Amino acid sequence: MAMTVRQRARVSRSVQYGLLALAVVLFILFADWASIGKAFFNWDSAVKQFPEIITLALKNTLIYTALSFVVGLSGGLLLALMKLSSVAVWRWIATLYIEFFRGVPALLVFIAFGFGIPTAFGVRFDIYVTVMLALGMVAAAYIAETLRAGLQAVPKGQLEAARSLGMPHWRAMVSIVIPQAFKIVLPPLTNEVILLTKDSSLVYLLGLAASQYELTKFGRDGITQPNAGLTPLVIAGACYLIITVPLGILARRFESRTAKTKG
Amino acid sequence: MAESTSSAAAKQIQAAGVSIKELRKSYGSNEVLKGIDLEVAPGEVVCLIGPSGSGKSTLLRCVNLLEQPNVGTIHVGGFESTDPDVDIDKMRRKVGMVFQQFNLFPHLSALQNCTIAQTKVLKRSQADAAEVARKNLARVGLDHLADRFPDQLSGGQQQRVAIARALSMDPELMLFDEPTSALDPETVGDVLAVMRNLAKEGMTMLVVTHEMGFAREVADRVVFMDGGVVVEEGAAEQVIGAPTQPRTQEFLRRVLDPTHIDIAE
Repeated sequence: MAMTVRQRARVSRSVQYGLLALAVVLFILFADWASIGKAFFNWDSAVKQFPEIITLALKNTLIYTALSFVVGLSGGLLLALMKLSSVAVWRWIATLYIEFFRGVPALLVFIAFGFGIPTAFGVRFDIYVTVMLALGMVAAAYIAETLRAGLQAVPKGQLEAARSLGMPHWRAMVSIVIPQAFKIVLPPLTNEVILLTKDSSLVYLLGLAASQYELTKFGRDGITQPNAGLTPLVIAGACYLIITVPLGILARRFESRTAKTKG
Repeated sequence: MAESTSSAAAKQIQAAGVSIKELRKSYGSNEVLKGIDLEVAPGEVVCLIGPSGSGKSTLLRCVNLLEQPNVGTIHVGGFESTDPDVDIDKMRRKVGMVFQQFNLFPHLSALQNCTIAQTKVLKRSQADAAEVARKNLARVGLDHLADRFPDQLSGGQQQRVAIARALSMDPELMLFDEPTSALDPETVGDVLAVMRNLAKEGMTMLVVTHEMGFAREVADRVVFMDGGVVVEEGAAEQVIGAPTQPRTQEFLRRVLDPTHIDIAE
């Protein structure tokens, strides 16, 4: 009883759906819902998180992310331009910087900024400045590579046309090449912001006052309450998604827009 | 009457000539220009023709220093552009360049393409720059499309905007690097018409082209290049109509009659 190709595909699809449905049913039947609820979805504990988790923790996460993105973007642009410079020393410095900060865990950089630099140089930064520098410098390394690719993707004729109109090199870069490069790297740049949002959780290492708590620290603090279970962390996770999912959608929209103008 | 208006227009354009002496350019061991001498008088239209790889585009790009020549001198207007101390940007303001691939700025509208260098380089006010830009867009017949972006224009329209962009800097010399080679056949005529008008107004033009009809009609002089040297130059009618050099004759036979098959090869 030979089946046609189309029939075989239909049967295969039905079997896959069937297996998935079976797995869900088995999980629902045999899972210990009381324990799961106690661990992750404790309503009383969840209610206690509000409103501070939004007004304080979410707000601080956004502030830490925004501050470090400003440093990351400007530092990244500078490094990308250095990497494309005709002066070899600039290229070497940029390469060294990028390889170092991309290769070292962000955690170590935080420790260095939080504890190493105050001891070594006797300066103590405000917590916001520390986050901005530590996270920003790591982000700059990643953003630099993204921007460099974007700058190189702008056709050479654009620079030639701008220079032919009498623009000095820097002016041609600022008015013609860099704006086009940013348009090209908008989708990957949005992904960098998503990574930064999550990495801002590392700030807990620095030892925070309650008013400086961000989402992860706030959630970790929440689970130390009696009978809280892990619910505070679930709520914190959901808050991250409130930030990152729209960014992901935004990135996809940029991507399809760039694809359209190319086609 | 028509005569006097066109000569009035000719006076409006401050013409600059080009003088190229003993120009050599190599890429590694590959010598592309092997000692070129070329004069373009103010107000003159000179067409460079020749097979691809003959060095004509490289020669053109040397004039505004998009390529750095190795040996020789180039005078453009009051500048010796091969002088190492020359202010390249100042020299380039006087020299308009039109590319084969248009190279319009895709993030700017047609009007902004024509204003950006005016405001940033010549420091004209936005209003003045827009007025000059609109005048030049009208000159190429596209003032009604000033707010369009390059990707909303046809190839021929883009190239005309590119010409208007160069003209907005009030150049004394215009360089054209195969301006119609990337165009659909039906839009070539519009671009050539714009260039013809420009020539009539007295603009000094150096044009690399494969359009023999245009060269014959518009050029004061035609220069045939092959293998990095000038093989033959003279009045358009003579070089294209009655070439004396065998290489020129062969090139023109192939270009003017593409179906001709040379059995000897």
